[in-house]
Amino acid sequence: MASSQLPNYLLSNRKRLSLSQTDVAFLLGAQDGAKVSRYERFAREPSLETALALEVIYQRPVSELFGGLYQKVEKEVGERAKVGAPKAAQTPSNLKNARRAQIFINLANKSFITS
Amino acid sequence: MTQTPPYPRILAIAPSTRGFGFVVLEGLALLVDWGSKPTDGKNKNIQAQAKAKALITRYQPSVIVLQNTALENSRRSQRVKRLIEQIAKMAQAHHVTVQLFTHDELKEALLPGGKGTKHELAAIIAQRFPDDLGPQLPSKRRPWESEHSRMDIFYAAALALMPRLKRATRKVQAKA
Repeated sequence: MASSQLPNYLLSNRKRLSLSQTDVAFLLGAQDGAKVSRYERFAREPSLETALALEVIYQRPVSELFGGLYQKVEKEVGERAKVGAPKAAQTPSNLKNARRAQIFINLANKSFITS
Repeated sequence: MTQTPPYPRILAIAPSTRGFGFVVLEGLALLVDWGSKPTDGKNKNIQAQAKAKALITRYQPSVIVLQNTALENSRRSQRVKRLIEQIAKMAQAHHVTVQLFTHDELKEALLPGGKGTKHELAAIIAQRFPDDLGPQLPSKRRPWESEHSRMDIFYAAALALMPRLKRATRKVQAKA
């Protein structure tokens, strides 16, 4: 049976770098490791700024560090895109609207084109 | 693009006289957590069960892997054998499938020719997970030294690999 991803993978990344919670707290500008502990125990989600700081520290993208949360958000965006795709497809036909409609379709199908 | 891991999340627990080593493995080779949970004094099994339960609650594994000590020639102590059975029952109560493998099965699956020491087994595990466990590998034990407590972690990691490598000798299905 497959498992969904964990809310985050902060602990394994910290251990891999042999950093203590106190080390990471210092790098985040926090007073002690309590906040880091809460993030690692899935008791609390960090702010965007803190999440980006964690990306800097662990050299892993935020979407990978917070895999389970990213998975949840991706699914929700995809479901909203499915709802919005038919309406986007009904707009007048031109290059801009065609691209917009395609973006909705891609999000609904969980793929994204960047160009 | 993120993907749901196609393999179950595995929690492997390797009890010893000092407590237990554990590893949480996700996908093919992602170590999510690893470490030792010490126990001491009286009621070691109660302490160990509480710590095992905390790991199960936190990581919601699909599978728990333990050593199969039910065979007559198993050299594990009665206390550790009881603890393994207790953890298996607790896992079932949490709707987690339990897989058990004997020490001989581990050696056969992981050591060249199925023969070697626990340190050689740990060294193979350290090569498999060089960034995570490589720095943790203790130096080879000298005859007058006790086994290093970190060896439990490597044994747990070896257990965690077994579902991929071999069919379990005993598989206890989660209760529906």
